[in-house]
Amino acid sequence: MSIFQWAQNPWGQEILVRISWDLLYLAIAGGLAFVIGHFVYRTKNPPKTAEAPNIGDAGKDIPEKVVRHSLAARLFHWVMAVSMITLLVTAFFPILGIQFNWVPVHWMAGVVLTAAIIFHIIHASFWLKLRNIWISGKDWAEWKQEMEYALGKGEPPPKTDKYPVDHRLYHNAVMFTGLGVIVTGILMMSRVENLIFPRNSYLLAENTWGWVYLIHGLSAVGLVGLIITHIYFAILPEKRWITKSMIWGWITKKDYLANHDPERWVVTDKASK
Amino acid sequence: MADGKLFGTNYIPADLVAKVTGQAKYAEDFRAEGMLFTKLLLSPMPHARIRSIDDHEALAMEGVMGIITANDLPETDNLVGSDRALTMEPMYQGEPILAVAAVDEETAAAAIETIKVDYEPLPFVIDPLDSLRPGGPNARVGGNTIVDRKEVVEIKWTAQDFEEADDSMPMGEAEVEWEVGDVAKGLEEADLVLDETLYHQSQTHHPLETRSCMAYWQNDKLYMHVSTQSTQRTAGAVARGVGIDPTQVVLIAEYCGGGFGSKIAGTVNMPIAALLSKKTGRPVMHRVNREEENAYGRARPGFQGRVKLGFRADGRITAIDMYLIQDNGGYGRSGDFTSASRCASLNYTPLNMRFRGISVLTNTPTRAAQRAPGGVQITAMLEPVMDKAAKELGLDQFEIRRINAPDNDTTYGSNEHHVTSAYVREALDKAAEVSNWAELKAQSGQTNGSKVTGVGIGLSSYVAGSRGFDGLMVIRPDGKLYVHQGVGNLGTHSVFGTARVASDHLGISWDNTEVVWGNTSKHLPHSAVQAGSQTTHAHTRANLAAAIDMEKKLKEVAARTLGGSADSYVVAGERVYRRGNRGSGLSFAQAAEKAIELGGTFDGHEAPEDINDWTKGAVAGLAGQGLVGVAKDNYGGEGDLWSFVIGVAKVEVDRETGAVEIQHYTAVADTGAVMNPRGLAAQIHGGGVQGFGLARSQKWVYDPKWGVPFTQRLYTAKPPSILDVPLDMRAGTVDLPDPQNPVGAKGIGEAPFGAGVAAVLCAIQDAIGEFDLKRSPMTTDLILNQLEGVPQPITVLATDV
Amino acid sequence: MAVIRDTMAEFDLFQPASIDDALALKRRYGKTSWALAGGLDSLDWFKDRIKRPEVVIDLSAVESMRGIRDIDDADGVEIGAMTTLTEVAEHAGILSRFGLLADAASKVATPQIRNQGTIGGNVTQDTRCWYYRGGWPCYRAGGNICYADTPTAINREHALFESNRCVAVNPSDTAPALVALDAKFVIRGGGGEKVVAAEDYFITPATDITRMTILEPGELLTSIRIPGTWAGARFYFEKVRDRQAWDFPLVNIASAMKISGNTIEDIRLVVNAVGPRPLRLTDVERQLKGQSVTEEVGQAAGELALLGARPLQHNGYKIPLIRNLVKRAIRGTGA
Repeated sequence: MSIFQWAQNPWGQEILVRISWDLLYLAIAGGLAFVIGHFVYRTKNPPKTAEAPNIGDAGKDIPEKVVRHSLAARLFHWVMAVSMITLLVTAFFPILGIQFNWVPVHWMAGVVLTAAIIFHIIHASFWLKLRNIWISGKDWAEWKQEMEYALGKGEPPPKTDKYPVDHRLYHNAVMFTGLGVIVTGILMMSRVENLIFPRNSYLLAENTWGWVYLIHGLSAVGLVGLIITHIYFAILPEKRWITKSMIWGWITKKDYLANHDPERWVVTDKASK
Repeated sequence: MADGKLFGTNYIPADLVAKVTGQAKYAEDFRAEGMLFTKLLLSPMPHARIRSIDDHEALAMEGVMGIITANDLPETDNLVGSDRALTMEPMYQGEPILAVAAVDEETAAAAIETIKVDYEPLPFVIDPLDSLRPGGPNARVGGNTIVDRKEVVEIKWTAQDFEEADDSMPMGEAEVEWEVGDVAKGLEEADLVLDETLYHQSQTHHPLETRSCMAYWQNDKLYMHVSTQSTQRTAGAVARGVGIDPTQVVLIAEYCGGGFGSKIAGTVNMPIAALLSKKTGRPVMHRVNREEENAYGRARPGFQGRVKLGFRADGRITAIDMYLIQDNGGYGRSGDFTSASRCASLNYTPLNMRFRGISVLTNTPTRAAQRAPGGVQITAMLEPVMDKAAKELGLDQFEIRRINAPDNDTTYGSNEHHVTSAYVREALDKAAEVSNWAELKAQSGQTNGSKVTGVGIGLSSYVAGSRGFDGLMVIRPDGKLYVHQGVGNLGTHSVFGTARVASDHLGISWDNTEVVWGNTSKHLPHSAVQAGSQTTHAHTRANLAAAIDMEKKLKEVAARTLGGSADSYVVAGERVYRRGNRGSGLSFAQAAEKAIELGGTFDGHEAPEDINDWTKGAVAGLAGQGLVGVAKDNYGGEGDLWSFVIGVAKVEVDRETGAVEIQHYTAVADTGAVMNPRGLAAQIHGGGVQGFGLARSQKWVYDPKWGVPFTQRLYTAKPPSILDVPLDMRAGTVDLPDPQNPVGAKGIGEAPFGAGVAAVLCAIQDAIGEFDLKRSPMTTDLILNQLEGVPQPITVLATDV
Repeated sequence: MAVIRDTMAEFDLFQPASIDDALALKRRYGKTSWALAGGLDSLDWFKDRIKRPEVVIDLSAVESMRGIRDIDDADGVEIGAMTTLTEVAEHAGILSRFGLLADAASKVATPQIRNQGTIGGNVTQDTRCWYYRGGWPCYRAGGNICYADTPTAINREHALFESNRCVAVNPSDTAPALVALDAKFVIRGGGGEKVVAAEDYFITPATDITRMTILEPGELLTSIRIPGTWAGARFYFEKVRDRQAWDFPLVNIASAMKISGNTIEDIRLVVNAVGPRPLRLTDVERQLKGQSVTEEVGQAAGELALLGARPLQHNGYKIPLIRNLVKRAIRGTGA
């Protein structure tokens, strides 16, 4: 199995062209292995449903339908998701042997994704809370506890903020790989005919292009694995309440209390963050 | 003076059957026991320094017998004046770096692929103007031009030079400059002044036979089968390249599949086979492929030019102010641009002339003389301008050349030399007659559907002779005359033709004449190189001198044998006999036997003092084998030998596609007395056809970002095919002898080329109007763009696009 | 490793005598095998050491792939893929009924190449983009760049239509003629025989940037069938090139027209060397049906043919050239 694809440039020098497509199969295999492994484990050790504590009056201001994702946030997510899937399909189906005119669809979906991400960065920075993606030292201990509890050891971990650590870890991974494909993808648009700016395959030095394609490829296959796991978790029964909130925007008060700490994720304000 | 029985008539050259039946062995046909094969590692980059070479895998490969690099070549302290077989600082993509000798070509090629070369890429130049710009790159570390063939200097023009020029060619500091008369005044006095910016492409020689060679050593002597234009003179070049004495070289070169100036004597690759053979102790074949041929096989330098011409109302040129930037390649300094100035000076005899030039280094193949070096380019560039002037002045194309034509009294060039003869007006008249110019001219501008006819002429000249070489011949006891020629068989057949002068003088039939050629161990005299169209002139004279010596000796042998004074004898009918008594006397066979008995100067035991040392060695080698005639060409002479060719072409241009059909081509030469009419026609037409290629399809194309060429295969280089040649091809000669050659002949090899380019370019211009880009080749796309008003994708001076 | 563009690398040579044997070999060796017809394309690649199949399947002994025979009650012809171009150009039946193809075949390369080159090879040949042929790691070679479509590239002979990252052109002369004649290409492979319309044989980079045709590794083009539909129609073929022999087209055009009086009843019009595959000008054909054969109609057709053309730095001359060739196909050369 190889990691890179090399070629000889017109001067006979070895240049890095892109990642080896072995890594695609590795990512698919890895994603599926995780999913299958997790599912098997879960079948043997069914997840414990969290209980909603009775907090009485303290929860009187908590609405019955707790807003988890605003319309803007949901629209962003689905636009991103559709464009992301389109990008992955157009990128990898031809490699898997299904031939079609993928390039224009790919860069157009990429433009959509870029616009969505730009929106998200602004929206998240000013309208949402940045702590939602920040991971600090204390989080690691919590995460360790959460993992151990999932494996059947120790006490249940404390109720979490809006996003538990593993969600935030996942977001970081998608953020880096996403930015990776987007920034490199925009540069790579100058390698093909596109409707936005003139084609210039010599925009960057040859070595630099090698890095660009490397990052694009690694990020892309990384996203394959990440999205396999994301979709898996989204359809798991015990997580569907979260999935539904990305469609309808809210979670029940019961689910809120069962999974979250009202002191950490405060929802009594009008707009939840 | 020869009777002209053989001289001046057609004959079947001695090599014809061998060539046509495939029996002729060229360098790559030879085999020897244990022979190894060579493959080269060529530079992938246009300019680089080699930091290290790791060939351990190759050396360890089974079947690999030896590897050499530049370190194995004879020492030199001048790495810039000329290139060598191998280099550690390649100056162009394709320059050879190392050579592998292996048991077969597959092994050698596989071995090359295992070799790791560590290159340091260096800046490179493809377009000379890029290098002249302030801050522009240099082709060599340290500079962009070479002076005195050894010093690299940097010449940059100023930003102002470029700004002032606008769309014309800038003219900054020159390297070379000469002026005769007062050009400024001449332009002032002119009724019409044209200021033109022009371009001519660089171009590979494209001989059909590549410069393969096979070498082996025996008893400290180097035997080489090579492809070369010369023979006797090539041995010295090989010796120099290998680092041995010329007497240690035996050169076998009976056939040459074209050279056109790229194989005048030695070729740069010859040392490779020789040194690998020395290193491995086995015979080595270096079979050169077409890619290598296009890399180190040499090329004609292109010019970027700017010329101001002043004309009187009657067409007389009052002044030429010419500036040429020469695309030099990476080594030395090509003489083309200064030769070009001489050709222009001679062809047009301007009343005043200034020439300025600069030869700029580029990272492209090494340049060498190519059939009329400098002459072709300047003819191709200037002849369409002459037509433009003619049109503006209301003159016919022939008229404007007539009034400016050189003649026997003309002086030309920076040092105002004379020519021995120039019958250009006569040639123009004859060309008009042979081509039926009146009828052609009437067709100018005629349309036939989408096609339009154009006619044009081209006046071209080139040097045509040298003096002072040796002739050597022997009559053997078999009665035959053996003419020893150091002249190479480069395909012009001058090696045979010039021998006929001797046969004529001695009255011996051609059947009883043998030409000895092609192998330096066969005792060949010191000869001209087969270049510069000099052979016909030089060796008709040398062979005549030797024949006269032979005749004298025949008479003396007869006198000593049969009595009486030598003067009382005549040589005729293959006998030497007392005047009036044909029955008496000696046959040639008998005379030869007698010569051997007499010894001394008769049979080569003594040789004349004034012949070349090499010839002395040859004479000594023939000692005792017959009656030896040997002499140096002491006929002397003053002035320079030049031949002239007028080309006349008719083309049809399809205005809807840009396609061009050449429908008629006539070429008429002033080349002195004609030695071989059929051979002459072949030269005139062959050179003309080469001209068609430069006019229409042949060019270099380099990718400017990578400095790598795309036209190294014949199907991308596009030399003309036989189907590009019109059926209506006519030839003629003025047939006026040159007064300074007792035989009257001048050379013809080079003059025909420029006439072909120029006549076709002029004809195309006649059909479509003044070119918006004055450059060659005028390819189909450029023509169509002009006709359709599509902006041309290149500028007039764009190089190698 | 150092690069040398000389001397073929080793391969195993098979010379099957039947199509079935050839296909079995292709099945067995898959992507490491290479079918060899006349060799005028293949040998260039091999000698440059750029393409190095381990196995070469020489089809020259497959007699059933040679020859020209009548089909459809002598309305049409079937030409074996291994038939030489000279045979095609000189065949009496093709000359009399499908002169368009004879004309096109006779203009390929040189007589020597036509004696050895096959019609199957001529339509299946790889592009001649000099960057690609030089072994540069471009898209078509599996890389991620097109060297021919850059600000500095010399792309005089490249595409103006249907380029999709790659701007190389299809260089065949017989291909546009066969498309104009509505030929059918017979392909044999693992799954049996399939017959495709000529224009569907060729693909663009949008489908697969590394090949010019639909042939899969396990398949062979075995013959070309020309139906009688266009036999005896008014044909026009023109190839514009830099010199009169041994040259690929700058642009070529092939048309077949059914004329009634002075009216175009039906027409098939194909231009090549302007895109990655022979370009059938279907919009122009539609426009031309029912129109007269005149200069004006030809001119308008030529203009319509140019829609969508995207010239590169050096190939702008192909715009008027295409327009004029379309005009001439309608009008004739006017000579």
